[in-house]
Amino acid sequence: MSDLKNKRIITAALTGAWPKKENNPNVPMTPSEIADDVYAAWKEGAAIAHLHMRDDEGNGTMDHLKFAETLRLIKERYPECDIILNLTTSGDIYATDDTRVLHVKELKPEMASYDCGSMNWLNFGLFLNSPKFLEDCGRIFKENNVKPEIECFDPGMIGNAAYYLKKGVLEGPLHFQFCMGCANGIPGSLKNLLFMKETADQLIGKGNYTWSAFGVGHSAMEVMYAAIALGGSIRVGMEDNVMYSKGVLAESNAQLIARAARVIREYGCEPATPDEARQILGLKK
Amino acid sequence: MSWGPNFMYYHCPSCGKKFKFQQDMIPELGDDFGRCPDCGEMGVFEHDGARTLDDNEYFEVE
Ligand SMILES: [Zn+2]
Repeated sequence: MSDLKNKRIITAALTGAWPKKENNPNVPMTPSEIADDVYAAWKEGAAIAHLHMRDDEGNGTMDHLKFAETLRLIKERYPECDIILNLTTSGDIYATDDTRVLHVKELKPEMASYDCGSMNWLNFGLFLNSPKFLEDCGRIFKENNVKPEIECFDPGMIGNAAYYLKKGVLEGPLHFQFCMGCANGIPGSLKNLLFMKETADQLIGKGNYTWSAFGVGHSAMEVMYAAIALGGSIRVGMEDNVMYSKGVLAESNAQLIARAARVIREYGCEPATPDEARQILGLKK
Repeated sequence: MSWGPNFMYYHCPSCGKKFKFQQDMIPELGDDFGRCPDCGEMGVFEHDGARTLDDNEYFEVE
């Protein structure tokens, strides 16, 4: 295996909880569509698939049966696909805390998201991750050997992760996802990404963690290039951006992932394979 | 979980142009946030939220 320092992980965030077919007809919504997109993402160089589910009306849901169905379809249709599955625990702001982790207990994915704080959701609701939920989540992840993708929407959430690390709720090395440009989170820019990274260096310690980043909307490309230049990994997909460029809808998730892989290669790095990503992240498959 | 950008949608009281600003441009644009990109007039705020279906009718100011 070649030098891992030169490898960057592409996480494919295919669906999310928000965009619908009306926003972009190419957003995968059903377990069948999501399974096909996971495979297409893997073919284009994604090492991790970050999955959300939708109910039959297209709204975000934490229905464990939808997750189970999707995982079954991936296995059945694409047995050769060794992508790391990363299941959201935040796919519906109205779900109970128990519902948000049921699929983690049942399916024991290699990774799951861990949103390290609470915030206002699109200026109309609440995105709640209470201290109790975060402590329970940390315990459940450990019991089930699930690596958290620690989503941080502002520097304070990195501070919260440092607290849970000290407390033993989280175990190092941590893997951060810096989520930039979401409403009421840190605005997306190169300067702010550098600040997030420096905050993590200070709070967690250089070399003690791995990280990835994405920007929604106007900052998508700026954050992608900046993350690669700063030595990080990247997340792309229609959860975060339904547009390929200004005014142009993305044709598919695969199109977004193919561009990310090109950017990584042009920079002089290589997209990590799933097994390389497992090594980088310290996953025990 | 992300949800794509949050936009604030406006129209211009002078020329009628429809335009939008992503919320996280507030620090970068300062006093220009909300102004018509053509005539500089402060826009009339309509609503905000995730992308709407008529989203492309609103020019995105960056
Ligand atoms: Zn005007």
